[in-house]
Amino acid sequence: MTASPGAVAGAVARWRALRMPLLALAAALAASGVVVVLAGGDPLLALTALLEGAFGSPDAWSEVGVRASPLLLTGLAVTIAFRAGIWNIGAEGQLLVGAVMVAWLGTRVGAWPSAVALPVLLAAAAAGGAAWAGIAAVLRTARGVDEVISTIMLNFIALGLLGWLVQGPLMEAAGAYPQSDAIAATARMPRLVGGYRVHAGLVLALLAAAAAWGLLFRTALGFEMRAAGLNILATRLAGLRTTGALLRALALSGALAGLAGGIEVSAVTFRLYENFSPGYGFTAIAVALLGRLHPGGVVAAALFFAALDVGSTAMQRVAGVSAVLVSAVQAIVILALLAFEQRRGQTGAA
Amino acid sequence: MTPVLALRGITKRYGGVAALDGVDLDVRAGEVHALLGENGAGKSTLMNVAYGLVAPDAGAIAVDGRPRRFANALDARRAGIGMVHQEFALVDALSVAENLALALSPPGEWRWRRARVAAAAARLAARAGLELGDLDAPVGGLPVGLRQRIEIVKALAGETRVLILDEPTAVLTPAESAQLFAVLDRLRGDGAAVVFITHKLSEVTALADRVTVMRRGRVVARTTRGEADEAELARLMVGALLLGAAAVPAPAPDAGLQLQLEAVRVTRSQSVGLDGVSLALHAGEILGIAGVDGNGQDALFELLTGLCPPLHGTVWLGGAPLRHFDPATLIDAGVACIPPDRLRQGVVAAMSVRENAALNRRLLGAGGWRVLPAAQRAAAQTMVDAYAIKADGLDTPVRGLSGGNVQKLIVARALATAPRLLVAVNPTRGLDIAAAEAVWAAVGKALERGAGVLLVSTDLDEIVARAHRVAVLYRGRLSAPLARPFPVERLAALLAGREAA
Repeated sequence: MTASPGAVAGAVARWRALRMPLLALAAALAASGVVVVLAGGDPLLALTALLEGAFGSPDAWSEVGVRASPLLLTGLAVTIAFRAGIWNIGAEGQLLVGAVMVAWLGTRVGAWPSAVALPVLLAAAAAGGAAWAGIAAVLRTARGVDEVISTIMLNFIALGLLGWLVQGPLMEAAGAYPQSDAIAATARMPRLVGGYRVHAGLVLALLAAAAAWGLLFRTALGFEMRAAGLNILATRLAGLRTTGALLRALALSGALAGLAGGIEVSAVTFRLYENFSPGYGFTAIAVALLGRLHPGGVVAAALFFAALDVGSTAMQRVAGVSAVLVSAVQAIVILALLAFEQRRGQTGAA
Repeated sequence: MTPVLALRGITKRYGGVAALDGVDLDVRAGEVHALLGENGAGKSTLMNVAYGLVAPDAGAIAVDGRPRRFANALDARRAGIGMVHQEFALVDALSVAENLALALSPPGEWRWRRARVAAAAARLAARAGLELGDLDAPVGGLPVGLRQRIEIVKALAGETRVLILDEPTAVLTPAESAQLFAVLDRLRGDGAAVVFITHKLSEVTALADRVTVMRRGRVVARTTRGEADEAELARLMVGALLLGAAAVPAPAPDAGLQLQLEAVRVTRSQSVGLDGVSLALHAGEILGIAGVDGNGQDALFELLTGLCPPLHGTVWLGGAPLRHFDPATLIDAGVACIPPDRLRQGVVAAMSVRENAALNRRLLGAGGWRVLPAAQRAAAQTMVDAYAIKADGLDTPVRGLSGGNVQKLIVARALATAPRLLVAVNPTRGLDIAAAEAVWAAVGKALERGAGVLLVSTDLDEIVARAHRVAVLYRGRLSAPLARPFPVERLAALLAGREAA
């Protein structure tokens, strides 16, 4: 008897949670159409080309999956940190450090079976990302340095480190290009379907989303992270972990971002070079916000952003609309989302 | 005599519920008019209508007999109505003068003219007979009473003839309340009309010329000074509910000690600490800690919740000395608290009723490392049922609950941990009588189980009604406890620091 009204309330709450992102998407789509028209294009043609490019062939689906993996993992990284009230803007740097770990170790595991090499490499990538985030955690707890500043600065340092590594210690033996040697065959992530690039990393990312959900909503640690992120004093008075929970959240966030970078090297690029990441760790913030900091939402948002990326190439080819527009669409989606969010906040307060 | 403010047939519905149902109210120049009622009776909504913040569904407003329609608060201010809300609208980082400039500067003023603002502030302050102190001090560091005075000066800006105050004494110390009453008295003498919202009966009989009593969105009584005593007003306010505290059975004479403090010293940088405090609390006993706010209550709360360790002295819980002071250790030792600031210290407002009901180490840890929503839901439902907590489902954020219901949830959660010691700071502040009775009924059950209750309250009436013994905090020092029946004169002297502790 009590279950039925509860189920109804749950459905209503779910609809309320979904309504705003959907409205934001519709508004963003309309605004983007206007931009296409202003750019002298045909918005309907552009939209169909975009959809065709993203979902029109098995290869397109595969590419969306390839793009979605790092976005999903970094999106989850940002989600966990933000849920704990930690503004980790450093997913990009943590991702790069994870990638460095796999590129560095991946050339040395040729003699190992893949079943051993891969877990070791991925663990190293996660550990690298966690350690990089850990610098920000130590700075915050020991010296009170705002993690927004420190994680942004650590992004630049990671970028510089990467540049130095691929031109120095990790530069390929041939010495022709500023890139690392290709990793061993045993260090490479298996593909899911023969002939397509989509790889097991996507499955790992989806499992990570399920695990993140379980952590946040089904464990005491996740409860503590969320509570401490929202009201640290009340959480402390309740005898729950606060600083400990926040540090764990930041480390976990870094681990997920590092994993994203590691998987990218292991499954897609096989080597390290400058501009290795097209800013996955930054897009991740948009992915996490669009997904309303809920792992399920982040899965949808990561797929959406991946589809936009993949479809934009076809849009450029067929409709003559610049792929740059897609960045504009992504930005418009975020702005629309924040605008709707704001509106909601105002009516809620009244 | 034409009332300066007349409300006629004001009706306001939220969803299907009538918050106000055909309310009439006349406010005359030169009177203090008390608007009395329990939480949720519609007092604040009615005054928000008069101040242009809430648009009524039906009804009319007249100022000096002329019909008015307020689209917003600015309209109301132009008509001579000012209001001071419970939550102050002050910018902490700005100085007193800069905050006043936000309200006192003439429209279109673009320059910062401190002298002009200071002159206007001085004129208004003189009218109300209040002291603003250093106009260049940042507002953030000022005591609540002074912040309220700034708000009053802001509300008096322009030609304010009706000043509305929403539960003005809820945040004030007794001394600050007395000062406020002197200000209101002076404004009344100056020909202004003062409306103050309250549910404290003593304030009504002390100050009000006329009283309008509201219950469930309607006016249930109108009376004048001397016509109704406190008991009669209380009966009108709560309706059929029976008044009077349940008799507190005294603890067994041989009951063991739940809490003992010996020569405890706590220092704090921002406020008064504790200076050689000793006390003993027995099982089944309520020990009242009376005192004017700011005499060490914060330090005592932080000591007994583990936020602040003692510099010297010993704390025993149930006979065992405490060595580590952090909230987790104290909770494990059987301490539960009802904190003074419920939204900042008691709940995570953005989380649901279900999750807040589990916001405690003992309750959350019951499931091990896992969180089981079904078990949480059942536990929360038990609390909601047992304490008649009004919430729109267990998944609503606590932010959406009224203050009284938040407090009931905090009390329910504290007692669900079966504590040996309950540290209750102002446990019924801001609650209506029914909610306060529910809180005390629950505390009574904990007492029967053998818990000790440390009642830290600035409300002397409550302490006298509930506590078995009372000790008084004054500047960080605690007096020897007094037993029932409490010698009122001695208490008053201790509160004022006129008698050595």
